Amino acid sequence: MSPLTGVPTKTPLWRDIRVLKWLFQLAVLAIFVGIIFWLYNNYQVNIQRSKIPTGLDFLDNPANFTMPGNDFNQSSPVWSAFVQGFYNTLRVSVVGILLAILIGTLVGMARLSKNFLVRTVAGAYVEVIRNLPLLVLLTFMNLAVVLQTFPRIEDAWKPLDLFVVSNRGIAIPWFEGSGITLLSVLLAALAAAVIIAWVRGKYSDRTGKPARGLLYGTTIFVLVIVGAWLALGYSWTLPLVQDRGTEGGLRLDPSFFALLVTLVVYTSSHIAEIVRGSILAVPRGQGEAADALALSGPKKMRLVILPQAFRVALPAVGNQSLNLIKNSSLGAAISYFELTQIAQITVGNGSPAVPAFTLTLLVYLSISLTTSLIINIFNRRLALVER
Amino acid sequence: MKKTVGILAALAAATLVVSGCAASTDVEPAEETAADTSTETTEETTTSTESVLTAVQEAGVVRCGTRDALPGFAVLQEDGTHVGFDSDFCRAIAAAVLGSADAVEMVDLETADRFTALQSGSIDVLVRNTTWTASRDGGEAATFLQTNFYDGQGMMVEASSGYSSVSDMNGAVVCVAKGTTTEGNAALESSRLGLGWEVRPFDDTDLLQEAFLAGQCDGWSSDVSQLTGFRSAYPDGADALEILPEVFSKEPLGPAVLDGDTQWAQVVNWAIFATIQAEEFGITSANVDSFLASEDVTIQRFLGVEITTDEGSAVLDPGLGLPEDFAYQVVKQVGNYGEIFERHLAPLGLERGVNALWSDGGLMYAPPYR
Repeated sequence: MSPLTGVPTKTPLWRDIRVLKWLFQLAVLAIFVGIIFWLYNNYQVNIQRSKIPTGLDFLDNPANFTMPGNDFNQSSPVWSAFVQGFYNTLRVSVVGILLAILIGTLVGMARLSKNFLVRTVAGAYVEVIRNLPLLVLLTFMNLAVVLQTFPRIEDAWKPLDLFVVSNRGIAIPWFEGSGITLLSVLLAALAAAVIIAWVRGKYSDRTGKPARGLLYGTTIFVLVIVGAWLALGYSWTLPLVQDRGTEGGLRLDPSFFALLVTLVVYTSSHIAEIVRGSILAVPRGQGEAADALALSGPKKMRLVILPQAFRVALPAVGNQSLNLIKNSSLGAAISYFELTQIAQITVGNGSPAVPAFTLTLLVYLSISLTTSLIINIFNRRLALVER
Repeated sequence: MKKTVGILAALAAATLVVSGCAASTDVEPAEETAADTSTETTEETTTSTESVLTAVQEAGVVRCGTRDALPGFAVLQEDGTHVGFDSDFCRAIAAAVLGSADAVEMVDLETADRFTALQSGSIDVLVRNTTWTASRDGGEAATFLQTNFYDGQGMMVEASSGYSSVSDMNGAVVCVAKGTTTEGNAALESSRLGLGWEVRPFDDTDLLQEAFLAGQCDGWSSDVSQLTGFRSAYPDGADALEILPEVFSKEPLGPAVLDGDTQWAQVVNWAIFATIQAEEFGITSANVDSFLASEDVTIQRFLGVEITTDEGSAVLDPGLGLPEDFAYQVVKQVGNYGEIFERHLAPLGLERGVNALWSDGGLMYAPPYR
């Protein structure tokens, strides 16, 4: 028989690339599952051997520690400590994200400025800050700025007698009354402002007259707040030095201040680069078209360039927001009472380590996933619809 | 050719998986009957069934969980050695078990990691200023042994602060170390006296000292022995600080081992008893050799001397798993309890107080060695 006649008509199974690909993927999956199973099994065996509790029963034990500026006390259950930690993580994250986006946008725009000084200062800010390790920056902020630069409580700075600044915190004037009412008034004012701006926009579309949405919106916002203030009889308190701390007003914990400033400075330096890149990504023709319409510099930015740049920037800025949330866990290093700190303290006070940190991990995961869900929704709405 | 490699790789991977599964299924029965010695299980599980004592004797070294910057108790010197009260008890354990005080590996631990280190088996014994509490006994899988220092929590303030008592400290900021019993004690004392303290925890004592120096804290609360240590090493000098008279908690400090290993626990216990018993006998590292010729039978037994009578000779081995001369080695190489105290704690200005021998009205008491 000549070898040529023996050409096989069908590839054997063990040489079929499709089968092999499947087999390979199954093998990888099996290895992965095997490793996880082995690790979990080891954990179970070791945990049983050392008789460490594994359940979540520890959440009902008394926490045995207190938190500054909080009603939480040492007899409260551990789970309520986690709730407080969750709030504190959210507090620093939400304020931090808003400020970082604001400052990052300004710095990013400044980097493209025609003014040499503005451009150089912004460039230096970005290049210095984003090349530093975050933990070093945070430690520096805490040790050098808050502890050493801010005065002792005895010699606290009192600018205009409105604020009290010392290394025990920064106290600012604040409203008296329940936080819920305050929040609902703010939300109502914001809603009124948005509705008015929308109505003005529609009016402008119909008649061609300028909308002035910002002007009308701000006016309504202020009116609602002043109206509510008068109607509800709100008052405010000024902070005063009392004993070894401050009384009245709202006190920002020194560790909160240090963490917030560090996170904002660090994240904004990254956002500035994103904003700069996104502005440069808007086709030149758009700017030239705006010039042809004789739009002023700020108007050109606000109406033509920035809206298109934000579309490009959104996913990356969203990513930076997620980073900020996760980086807030470094607050534990300077004793800010966020989730990680709570987990560490409660483990130090007798809660089992693995369940406590698993819980912490899941809480972070849910915060991050919720945030990215929101970013994705925005992104889908903003994305260019292409056909 | 490439395909052959691929197939081989897949086969190898598959074998790995199968063997991995086989190994893990073998673990199952061991999980239920943790007591029996299964040869198929991983290394960690095999060691679980035998005493740490055996492992220590095989390794020829005791891994002792300690700290690096607590003056008087354990300080890491520039030459890499540890000096302090706790460090010497680590050495006493090594001298008892292995006959050499140098056969010890000091493992520096953060406060928050100390029990995890014990649970995971990365240390054999924890001698790190650790307070014996019910929750730690129950929840941390630790067995606390003979207390080697009875302590209590106090408060340290700047001498210029004008505080003369804890109850003067209205609305004060009290700084403590994170993840210790001090947080809870300070909070309890504050609510008991209605003082509204703000208790600030710090990751480590260096950061705490920075904050204290900068005036962020009014009080520094910790065990009195620790405060005495920190005071002696304070950058502005010890006179800049004052320790207030009140002691508001009980802090028995002692070594801890992992639950469920009675043999190892007894060994560590007797290493500590040996230092106490030696002081009671008046045996020191300097004169221990002269006691070898003592006529006192209890001392002869204690030092593991062969007692010769007309009927023959005998030496006491109580069956602890320790060498017969372990007490001799401990006293010879490390010293008795009083010596260790004088060496490390007296220079800080600490008095013996309740840590005196029972015969002097203190709490230090060793069971009879017979």
